[in-house]
Amino acid sequence: MRANCCVASLLLWAIPVAAHADDDQQQNLSSLSIEELAQLPVRSASKAEEPLSAAPTALYVITEADIARANGTSLPEVLRLAPNLNVERINATQHTVSARGFSGYESSNKLLVLIDGRSIYSTLHSGVNWDLHAPLLDDLQQIEVISGPGGTLYGPNAVNGVINIVSKDAADTLGLLARGTAGARERTAGARYGVKLGDSASLRIYGNYVDRDDMPPGIGPDVDDAIRGWQAGFRADMAGDASHLTVQGDVFDAKAFIAPGDGNTGYNLLGRWSRDLSEASALQFQAYYDYSERRSTSTADRLEVIDFEGQYNLRSGSHALVGGFGIRTTRDEFVNNINVFQLDPPRRRLWIGNGFFQDRFALSPQLSVIAGIKLETSSFSGLQVLPNLRLAWTPSDKALLWAAVSRAVRTPSRIDRDLTAAGFLAAAPDFDSEKLVAFEAGFRGQPMRSTSLSVTAYYNHYYDLRSARFIGSPWPVQLGNDLEGNEYGVEAWIGQQVTPWWRLRGGATWLHRDFRVRPGGSDVGGAASLGHDPSYTLSLRSEVTLPGGFTFDAGLRAVDALENPHIPAYVEADARLGVTVAEGVDLYVTGDNLLHARHFESNDPSRTQSIERSIAFGTRLKF
Amino acid sequence: MTAERFLSAACGALAAAWLLAASPACAQASEQAVKTAFLPKFARYIELAPAAQPAAGQPYYLCILGRDPFGQQLDRAAASEVIDGHAVAVRRFADASPAAVGGCHIAFVAGANDQATVAMLLTLRRQPTLTVTDARIGKAHGMIHFVLADGRVRFEIDNAGAAKRGVTISSRLLALAVQVKQ
Repeated sequence: MRANCCVASLLLWAIPVAAHADDDQQQNLSSLSIEELAQLPVRSASKAEEPLSAAPTALYVITEADIARANGTSLPEVLRLAPNLNVERINATQHTVSARGFSGYESSNKLLVLIDGRSIYSTLHSGVNWDLHAPLLDDLQQIEVISGPGGTLYGPNAVNGVINIVSKDAADTLGLLARGTAGARERTAGARYGVKLGDSASLRIYGNYVDRDDMPPGIGPDVDDAIRGWQAGFRADMAGDASHLTVQGDVFDAKAFIAPGDGNTGYNLLGRWSRDLSEASALQFQAYYDYSERRSTSTADRLEVIDFEGQYNLRSGSHALVGGFGIRTTRDEFVNNINVFQLDPPRRRLWIGNGFFQDRFALSPQLSVIAGIKLETSSFSGLQVLPNLRLAWTPSDKALLWAAVSRAVRTPSRIDRDLTAAGFLAAAPDFDSEKLVAFEAGFRGQPMRSTSLSVTAYYNHYYDLRSARFIGSPWPVQLGNDLEGNEYGVEAWIGQQVTPWWRLRGGATWLHRDFRVRPGGSDVGGAASLGHDPSYTLSLRSEVTLPGGFTFDAGLRAVDALENPHIPAYVEADARLGVTVAEGVDLYVTGDNLLHARHFESNDPSRTQSIERSIAFGTRLKF
Repeated sequence: MTAERFLSAACGALAAAWLLAASPACAQASEQAVKTAFLPKFARYIELAPAAQPAAGQPYYLCILGRDPFGQQLDRAAASEVIDGHAVAVRRFADASPAAVGGCHIAFVAGANDQATVAMLLTLRRQPTLTVTDARIGKAHGMIHFVLADGRVRFEIDNAGAAKRGVTISSRLLALAVQVKQ
């Protein structure tokens, strides 16, 4: 054990910043003995990292190492690490995650979220039901978080941001891993086993179990918001000379307790095949099937998705071209036995198509132009043309200055068009896509050797946002597109390697919103579709690697108040102490929301419960 | 106690040298950087047949055949090695044409695909060269084949294959292998 630490420390001295392995660092590695080199933990090379680091977007990457040291036991809790996201825990089961505003359980509907290429936003309401997704966090390679429209290359619904969750190649998860956590209100357990199948194929299987207790009442009704369930799955990777095939799938089942019969069930299967056609060109196809069912308080929604996508990349001279298409069909069903709200028709098949083309053109070694166009259509809306233009200037290999202008739309969801309530709410067959024109500019780089910095400013103009108007005398109400307005804001984050064993990270967002009813329009819904956003969020994390296999991490976050209804601003802290007691045996204790006995993060009047201070113990074993 | 105070207390208690020598990694080296450090060191832990050893004053030639994943960092790493008066010099070749690679003492081989790598390894079998590979897939394995084991760069060693070519691999290197083919 001591030997391991000694070796690793030399590396630390050698590599103060995770970024570029520069000359001094290489020299220091060279000064190690072969035994020391053999004990160094390494970052594995990832093909995906490179083009992204040069991507002129507001990109934050949560790495495998960050996830391994995170307190969170669910995807949205881990997403708190991304300073450009606003994560609100609503209750034991539900979270809302948003970027650049529109936060709220129903209003956060402008994100594209992908898990290994599978889109998980629901076409029922365009939001994400985070409780349907419980992958084994230890198997994740990285999570890329883009705030803003995200460019041409991502599929439908990438309006305010993209969250791209990528799991590890099966070849990187060989052997047995078992993990578990236990706290007063939550218990989780997971295991994974990976094997090599011959020279060029690998397979892993995993299972994950969560048991989250009911939270004490908040501003919402005192219901039993507990959830208990499991998710299991597999991923197989087969690599040929120039081709790669991935087949993966998951199945899950969870019980919820607000009403008898509540819970989630689902399964999915995905195949992805890529082939390098030459040194300069590559082709990829992907197809998946996804079924999920959510039963909640005598309502049930079922969604079946079939999706097929293709992409072709070509490098030619100073051009890097990407073209592709996606076609998705969904079949849904919504059953409501508790009140008058119904989807009309209750079952419907939708078709969503998109095509895109992008050229990254190097005007000079330092200056690139990225011009892209995306066409989006659904059986609900006509063809939308979504151009985006980006400029990337790299005055040195330590700095990127970029600017972008993009158009993005959120195509109508089933609820936008087909939700009815006899006498109160009429269907809105003419509900149009919500639209955004976004202007962004940013800097990303290493102003000093041990400092990384990203600053982005944006100005968003939205129009045709969802509103509600009276069409009778006065009832019923019908959804319309009468809200519009502007947002501007700043997102910034900084990483500072203070000493070889101490890293600090800071993050800040500031958002100003200015929305109104379109001249000649009306909104009787209290601008519900705009959500409720804190005007600022601040975060600070300290990550310390101590001698003897100990790690100590602590974080502070401050979030401004929400209004209507009022939720006070809050400051909360979390901490984690970990120790590697033997090779492959990690023990840790985590504390969350340490500063207050309880606080609220969401102001959803029908769902919000009290979030309590919590302590948990965990272990991770690798064989 | 805040994190910072806890930290400064913990650190104050330690002599600087010991701290440097004992705090585990919080920033990680890249896989490539560690391989770059390993490669020139291999020269120290092999013994070639007397006829194949570099003449006095001549360097060990470390050849990169095919794709070069290491770049200039490898030249710098090689420059820091001196083995019994022999420097380590890096040479790069697009393929394994016998005329070009005749002088290679160590050859890292990475073809455009598995087949190409196998073909280059076959050519090198005619001479006493320590062959090194790292392709994660396929059958092309040199005498030393880099693998990732529990997040660390390790290797498999084909000791039998090396012995056949007159390359003796030291026990120190063999001890670090995750697998040795005898």
